[in-house]
Amino acid sequence: MTQSLTLDSISAHYGSTQVLENLSLAVGEGELVSLLGASGCGKTTTLRLVAGFLQPTSGTITLGGRDLTRLPPHQRDIGLVFQNYALFPHLSVADNVGFGLKQRGISGDAKTKRVGAMLDRVGLAHLADRLPAALSGGQKQRVALARALVIEPPLLMFDEPLSNLDAKLRIDMRVEIRQLQRANGTTSVYVTHDQEEAFSISDRVAIMHAGRIMQLDTPEILYQRPANAFVARFVGFENLIAMKVVERDGAKITAEMAGGIRLTLPLEQFGAIPDSFILACRADGLQVTDNAAMEGIPATLGLRTYLGRAYQYQAETPAGALIANGPLTRPLDAGVTAKLVPVPEQCTILAPEAV
Amino acid sequence: MTRNIHPLLIAGTVLVFMFLVGPLIIVLGAALSDTTYLTFPPQGLSLRWFENIFQIDAFRRTIFTSLQIALLSTVIALIIGIPAAYALNRHRIQLPGWLSTLFILPVLVPELVLGFSLLKNLAVQFNSPIYLSLLFGHSLIVLPYVIRVISASLASFDFSIEEAAISLGSPPLKTFFTILLPNVRSGVIAAFILAFITSINDVSISIFLTGPGLSTLPIQLLAHMEQFFDPTVASVSVLLMLLTVAVMAVVERTLGLTFLAK
Amino acid sequence: MKRFAGWTLAFPATLLIVVFLVLPVLATIWTTFTTPAGPFATYLSFFGSSFRRTVLFRTIQVSLAVTAIALVVGILTAYVVSRAPGWLKSILIIAAVFPLLTGVVVRSFAWLIILGKNGILNSTLLKLGLISEPITMLYTQGAVIVAMVYLFVPLMILTLVGVLESIPDDLIQASASLGAKPSATFMQVTFPLAVPGLIVGAVLVFAGSFTSYATPQLLGGEQVMMMGTLMYQQAMVTFDWVAASTIAAVMVVITIAIVAAMNAVARRLNPMAT
Repeated sequence: MTQSLTLDSISAHYGSTQVLENLSLAVGEGELVSLLGASGCGKTTTLRLVAGFLQPTSGTITLGGRDLTRLPPHQRDIGLVFQNYALFPHLSVADNVGFGLKQRGISGDAKTKRVGAMLDRVGLAHLADRLPAALSGGQKQRVALARALVIEPPLLMFDEPLSNLDAKLRIDMRVEIRQLQRANGTTSVYVTHDQEEAFSISDRVAIMHAGRIMQLDTPEILYQRPANAFVARFVGFENLIAMKVVERDGAKITAEMAGGIRLTLPLEQFGAIPDSFILACRADGLQVTDNAAMEGIPATLGLRTYLGRAYQYQAETPAGALIANGPLTRPLDAGVTAKLVPVPEQCTILAPEAV
Repeated sequence: MTRNIHPLLIAGTVLVFMFLVGPLIIVLGAALSDTTYLTFPPQGLSLRWFENIFQIDAFRRTIFTSLQIALLSTVIALIIGIPAAYALNRHRIQLPGWLSTLFILPVLVPELVLGFSLLKNLAVQFNSPIYLSLLFGHSLIVLPYVIRVISASLASFDFSIEEAAISLGSPPLKTFFTILLPNVRSGVIAAFILAFITSINDVSISIFLTGPGLSTLPIQLLAHMEQFFDPTVASVSVLLMLLTVAVMAVVERTLGLTFLAK
Repeated sequence: MKRFAGWTLAFPATLLIVVFLVLPVLATIWTTFTTPAGPFATYLSFFGSSFRRTVLFRTIQVSLAVTAIALVVGILTAYVVSRAPGWLKSILIIAAVFPLLTGVVVRSFAWLIILGKNGILNSTLLKLGLISEPITMLYTQGAVIVAMVYLFVPLMILTLVGVLESIPDDLIQASASLGAKPSATFMQVTFPLAVPGLIVGAVLVFAGSFTSYATPQLLGGEQVMMMGTLMYQQAMVTFDWVAASTIAAVMVVITIAIVAAMNAVARRLNPMAT
């Protein structure tokens, strides 16, 4: 039933503007892969290409060995869940869910049975005769899901399906979507701009930017070991500091940043470190201390904001403006000179590039 | 977006558009004919029938009357229609529901009935000048255009801008002229032009409100057609089509022609 | 204070409509009930005259035919126009707007040239040898219907393009993704969603045809008299103003009844409301 999806060197244009550049992506059988990125990154374009609403200028799309590239949308057999649900307003819940079956020539008892079973699974059996206008946002979303699932497609695609729901419902629904997807084992592509949503629901996440996939990995790896500066910033490494190794000494190295500031970094935490590298730290990864004896980046503190679990400081350093956190027990005022001490667990090493 | 449309449908559409444009091209051709009778394709090209329009006194007079009535009735409709549209959009909750029904009556009531009623119960009953009935009749039939177009402009107007101006010390009436009107200017222009062309082309109201001494161009055209079969009418038609082209250019620049498909 | 503001602004328009439309039209209708012969005498005489009944039924018949043809032509054309690529769509909309903004006299006149005894159609058919002598096309019901279809098709196309474009693309795509062929999508999604708009368009065309004057006058003449031309004739040729008022009243009642009924139906059928 379930099949793997392959996009091979896909390029796409809107008029003369290139929106996808040589994009390749493989989604394994039963896997859920999210396309994550800001608006305009190409994630929705990718989905629309697979669905057949857009044609790529080059490249091929295959689903379970079947070449989809030139197939019209209605022959692709893909379950789609739309951002605005796209429920047919003139059809009842049951007729919405049964629409795809009807197109496949399934009617009468067989259709009623499958629609009923599907509505049971999403908990909407009691609303079968309602029109979509009479449903709440969450119920509409469930109908949309049921409508896409009931045709038992080899591939399911979600286009920002939860963005019109309130925060609480969004969390419930994403659990529900994940459970249904797991239970059916349907290969899925999930488009979203919400990082938490993508990370929580996916087997793997493709972070997209300017029509390219910047990194495709499991949420854990993306979060802890981003492959490049873009992804690092995207997953919350606010501070990127260019450094050069000046001394290697067994288990640790000494490296220097702008202004001649030196730090000692343990290899045990970072693995191999190239001679020239970028130290990427979350705000939590730079601890503010007014203990002048500590080794760290000397800084003049600026605005302090309260985060609940810590204080956050805007700090001026020889390596530029950085963001660092300090303990609640010791608030420091603007203008104070302090040290920013890297916490290796909250930092990572990136290959040098134009930052 | 894939657009697979059945070839038969496309062929049908081509035919429909030939049906729409063809007759007007025929009128254009007939107007250019050098013959004294109507014919198509034109035999010998000539502009003499255009000159003829202005040699016929009745045409000269009715063209002038039509322009005058169209201009005046449009201005009247704008002066009373803009505040009405504003009230309907801004103060809708305070106004009774029947008011919006009242405002669509000029579309709902057949124009012939309106024209006849104005003649019978205003011009004749009160022995008032027929010109007055003609003018207010035209104002009435163009009023819905004004209200509709201005309402569409106001729908995209952010009334908080107006509140911002008032909070900054601008008096309401001044705010109307300095803030609101400039922002719906394209709507006003489009409303003007659509109202104007509607008035110029009107037959159904005017047919009852014209007579000896007062006539409009379309009524004169009808009368001329019943007596003569020469290309003069075609020439006048071409002039009116040129006016249409000008109107379309203005609408395109202000509202966009797709507005008319709403 | 604010209530006052709304009323003040709407007042001039209200006054114009009441004084120059509501009162004169009501007065016209009123006089039909106050003839010396009794309140309904004029209506009895209207429906009692077989000639006037014929005119009424002919008018309904012609209006229905025009509406039906305009609907079919309109929906199919509007469908193609709404799916056309941007530049072509603009051209097609211009081609529909142009006749719409051109006056009814000019547009009816065009058919006078085409359908006349020595008109283009006759001379072409003669030249092709399909007929041996000119056939009478003017002053027939067919001529009136053709010219009226011509009059109202642009309106229908533009109305329906607006309706079709207001149907969200998502729904069409959802339908395709569920396996519906384009024709199935049209029949099961597009068309049902366009029905309220179709009704609005139909009402516009029907009411327009039912109360038209210039086209039946030019292309129908005395032979194909319709309500509008009959009313004019009664009022301005025979000066029977009571009879003309009766026709006016019948036109008002039928027009408003149809518009009101269809509005109610359209509102009930519109699933996108609420």
